[in-house]
Amino acid sequence: MLMSVLFANSSGNVLLERFHSVPGEERLHWRSFLVKLGTDNLNGARDDELFVASHKSVYIVYTVIGDIWVFTVGKDEYDELTLVEVLHAITSSVKDICKKAPSERVFLDKYGKVCLGLDEIFSQGILEHTDKDRVRRLTRLRPLVE
Amino acid sequence: MLHQQAEDGHVLRYAYYFLARILGEGDTQSISAGGGIPTPNWDALADLSSIGGITRADVLPRIIAQLTKEAENPDVSVHPRRVAALKALTCTPMSNTDIVSKLYEIVFGILDKVADAGKVRKKKGMFGRQSVDKESALRSNLQYVALSALRRLPLDQGNPAFLHRAVQGIACADPVGVRHALAMVSEMAVRDPYGVAMAVGKLSLAGGALQEVLHIQDVMSRMYLARLCYILSRARGIDERMDLRSQFTTLLYQLLLDPSERVCFEAITCILGKFDSHESSEERAAGWALLTSAILKFPDPSAQPSKDSSATQGSDGSTASNDSVAKFPKDRPAPRPRRPQPLIRLVMRRLESALRSHLRPVLHAAMRIVQEIGKSRAAAFALGMVINEDSVPENLIENGDIIKADSEVDGGDPAAEVSRTKVVPLPSSLAANSRESIASMLSNLVEGVRTTVACECFYVRAAAIKAMMWMQSPEESVEELKSTIAGELSDPLWPASLLNEILLTLHARFKATPEMAIILLDVSRLFATKAPGKIDSDVLQLLWKTCLIGCGPSGKHTALEAVTVVLDLPPPAPDALEVSVLKDHSSTSDPKAAVALQRLTQAAVWFLGENANYAAAEYAWESKTPPGTALMMLDGDKMVAAASSRNPTLAGALTRLQRCAFSGSWEVRIVAAQALITIAIRSGEPYRLQVYEFLRALAKGGVQEKLKEAYVSNGEDQGASGTGLSSIIAPMLQVLDEMYKAQDQLIKDMRQHDNAKQEWSDDELRRLYENHERLLDLVSLFCFVPRSKYLPLGPTSAGLLNIYRNRHHIDATTGFNDPAVATGIADLQVSTVTRIEYPPIQIDAAVPSPSDGLVDGIWSSNLAGVDRVNAYLGGVGTDAPEVEDDTATTRASVSYDDMWAKTLLEASDGEDADEQLSGSSSPESTASFETSVSSQFGSSRYPSLFGNTTSFGQNTRWEEEHRPGTRFGKFSGELTSLAEDQPSYVESSPANAPLHGTHWQSGIGNQEPLHSPSSEVPSRPSDVQYPEEARAGKALYEFTAGGDDELNLTAGEDLEIEYEVDGWYFVRKKRPGRDGKLSGLVPVLYVTS
Repeated sequence: MLMSVLFANSSGNVLLERFHSVPGEERLHWRSFLVKLGTDNLNGARDDELFVASHKSVYIVYTVIGDIWVFTVGKDEYDELTLVEVLHAITSSVKDICKKAPSERVFLDKYGKVCLGLDEIFSQGILEHTDKDRVRRLTRLRPLVE
Repeated sequence: MLHQQAEDGHVLRYAYYFLARILGEGDTQSISAGGGIPTPNWDALADLSSIGGITRADVLPRIIAQLTKEAENPDVSVHPRRVAALKALTCTPMSNTDIVSKLYEIVFGILDKVADAGKVRKKKGMFGRQSVDKESALRSNLQYVALSALRRLPLDQGNPAFLHRAVQGIACADPVGVRHALAMVSEMAVRDPYGVAMAVGKLSLAGGALQEVLHIQDVMSRMYLARLCYILSRARGIDERMDLRSQFTTLLYQLLLDPSERVCFEAITCILGKFDSHESSEERAAGWALLTSAILKFPDPSAQPSKDSSATQGSDGSTASNDSVAKFPKDRPAPRPRRPQPLIRLVMRRLESALRSHLRPVLHAAMRIVQEIGKSRAAAFALGMVINEDSVPENLIENGDIIKADSEVDGGDPAAEVSRTKVVPLPSSLAANSRESIASMLSNLVEGVRTTVACECFYVRAAAIKAMMWMQSPEESVEELKSTIAGELSDPLWPASLLNEILLTLHARFKATPEMAIILLDVSRLFATKAPGKIDSDVLQLLWKTCLIGCGPSGKHTALEAVTVVLDLPPPAPDALEVSVLKDHSSTSDPKAAVALQRLTQAAVWFLGENANYAAAEYAWESKTPPGTALMMLDGDKMVAAASSRNPTLAGALTRLQRCAFSGSWEVRIVAAQALITIAIRSGEPYRLQVYEFLRALAKGGVQEKLKEAYVSNGEDQGASGTGLSSIIAPMLQVLDEMYKAQDQLIKDMRQHDNAKQEWSDDELRRLYENHERLLDLVSLFCFVPRSKYLPLGPTSAGLLNIYRNRHHIDATTGFNDPAVATGIADLQVSTVTRIEYPPIQIDAAVPSPSDGLVDGIWSSNLAGVDRVNAYLGGVGTDAPEVEDDTATTRASVSYDDMWAKTLLEASDGEDADEQLSGSSSPESTASFETSVSSQFGSSRYPSLFGNTTSFGQNTRWEEEHRPGTRFGKFSGELTSLAEDQPSYVESSPANAPLHGTHWQSGIGNQEPLHSPSSEVPSRPSDVQYPEEARAGKALYEFTAGGDDELNLTAGEDLEIEYEVDGWYFVRKKRPGRDGKLSGLVPVLYVTS
């Protein structure tokens, strides 16, 4: 189960988040926990450098692209290695949409497209497409294979 | 609708996106996807535009209708919209049954058309996806969408169509579709392995779709494949289809070679027997055996794979050695013949290369896998499975026949020896390398894990430490683990939550192999000493407790030692504070650490008090003290010596607690006093007396000389003004006083009856029983004791109590609380049912009744420790002496508060209990009880007030007699009243009894009657403390009394030496001296006998 995907800027403000099967009151904890992880570790990190954390049986893999922190939280089959796949799909898609590692401004400019991209990469806690070309096609409502 | 007219794909996609979110929002706000762009609040909109009147409820049916229509539209030109519409529809909450059934309809409609038609072009789709015709592409696309939608729908377990379509989906041309199909099939396989195995069976054959999944790009597909293969390979139902089983096993083993760590690790965990949270230790152990013995045999590339051959070869009965064939991808040119590989080597190599990775997630995952290996190995150890880790896995390959022999029999098996000699050296340079035994591979692995601890990520480090804990085997030295952990713990940046998680791992490790309790306690000690401020005392207590229960009779002493080490921790030193401030100001501040340490100490003290009796296997109700032993312990030092020689564990615990009651913070001292009284109540003599004396001294901190004299062995300086605990100790002393006095009285009464050859009347028995119940209630206020076994009046009372209870049909466990007893109905019963009786008086027999939950030695029985602990952790109940299990899980401080409150309330409770139970007690005695309650705090005279309060209250003699002070009290007044030394039993003996050192009086009260049941002098039943006859003596020198209980001597004076205690004689003069005193203590050296 992919529990959460969360984007934040480098000062820890949440830009975009998706939760699945996380009750409202727990989201608050997750937000602050993830942002704290970012503040502790992501300052000065390289682009796409992968970080890992775990809390009981829940795994967290996170990274930074441009000015944006990206966190993925999962459990069960979405362990740290699967989350690496998810995170890779997300970052490559975001980079594809923003044309490069995004600054906060570019990210917000392309906010809608990023949302569509995320919608194709995973939905309802299940990973869908990992290939950025397929994601791009689907967000333009074009057939997957032509 | 907007999107019906829109042309731009992007805009349309947005529309679907929003529609999906509107659908998903549903009534379950908290569970649906949240955040992002807020979707319109339709209800609010409805309020705003009352004219339009649009509400979400209005919109939903229209959206669903529109989407359904689009999803069903077979027109090729709107195909992408069909896909998007179906996807949006699946966002509907699954609680809406109408939509769900509609969705099933659509999905199966699509699959009916697409999947069956797709069969013909399956190969094409699989290997030439780039060049497929448009129609096939559309089909595969639709099939993927349908499978994706199907996966989001609830599993329809019993539906053959569902299974059929899902299995069909494994052959889907779209890799994501394959993934969804495999996920669904593996989920269904958990519940119905046989059905799924049959359905999937055909696909698993060489060249089948399952084989092709091996070469699909999608990582998660292969991961689900590993799961599916694992589930199916161990399905019970397919025993008769060994070919199928071997197909699945081979597939699973082949996944070990997968380029993706994710897939490989999944395969490893599956082989190890870990599938989901509810795996059994048997499966784990079998997993470890499999991993160490199984061989992956690669198919011979020259032999053409054929279904027949694989079917026959696979039926040889061994899951480990099957010769099934795997199809090699066509894009690989002519694969070389590959040597069969032992699984363990594959796994180890893979893990070692993962450990060299620079990616933190990979490291973390590898650490987890090592943990899993350790867990399975521990399970194998625990189940007594012999796996010869010195064996060389290659031996297995040389001769397939010995695989079973080697995995099931120890390595000493001659067949294994023979095979070892037969091994042909490997031609390659790898030969030397590949001759490793399993043990050396494991040690290499652990070495790799150890280097990983250097990773800068705390989570990886924590995982590495956990892995090391799991890989630690009972016979290996624990030093390396300890030094690693000690090094790690000195890093102040460790988050507390992670450390506690590691401690919990330690706990889990213990559960797996209880025999490692000592080692693990050793490790836990590190945590307590190195990072006391960060350790949750609850977690540590849980660990202690489980270890104590599980470590067996021999380990209990060590277990308690591990607890007491916490008590020896120095408070955080100021210089340590400075260092940590210099290093990092965000680390735990000193006051915080100090508070945490104190909490830890409190927890340890509480734990000691609660469990020392269990650890020491010393209970009052099954005392191993032979009757009469107490007589030998008249001397305080001798008593302590005897106590510690008999039960060093309990004596050690007592010493620690006594130290804590003296020093330490106020909170700790309170808990220590509480712990001491618990031990006193639960232990037999001489421990009870030891505690009694100690508490008395503690309550009277002012009397310096006596303190020093009594506790010189402790080496403690108590300070000038006592400990300030007297108000807490007073009720405790009161209970002990009551118990001792009641015991005394009982002995006296028994003597009287014996001598007068008089039966006990029912009334007397009733009084006795009431007294017993009252004392039980009092005692139960302080700690748990088993009501049916505990005899506050001493073992001698058992017979009389049994008589009374049988006569009146009183159940030992309920006593007067039984309404039938309270109302007198029980008396009317004419039943011959045998009642529970107190254990026989013969303590020596020491035959614990089977129902006795507190009997020690359960661990020496055959029950596996694992089961015990598991049962205990499962809440089934434990053999631990306490019932307050919840206190271990709640915050320690809270429970202490409660206990503290209880102590304060005790006095009034006691009064209630007293009034309730001793209905016959006179108003006068109640009144005196009250006085005692009000005056007991800080009063040195309170014991005399307590003499009046028993249910013997009507017995005026008792009241008179039990007024004297104690050895340390002011008793000069009483002494003078005793000057006459009358021979009458009524006045002399009880008055003297308390004088003669409380510490042995009741010990004798307990034991003596057994020793000499019919005493010679009827008038002096309590005189048993005295030697048979007082010796004559003469004062050598002049001696000036230094305290109230000492006696002035004039040189040459004639004396009667009553007894000796602690280097002092208690002597009696022929006539009162110049100070009017007749008897008292004088130094031994001053008197010649």
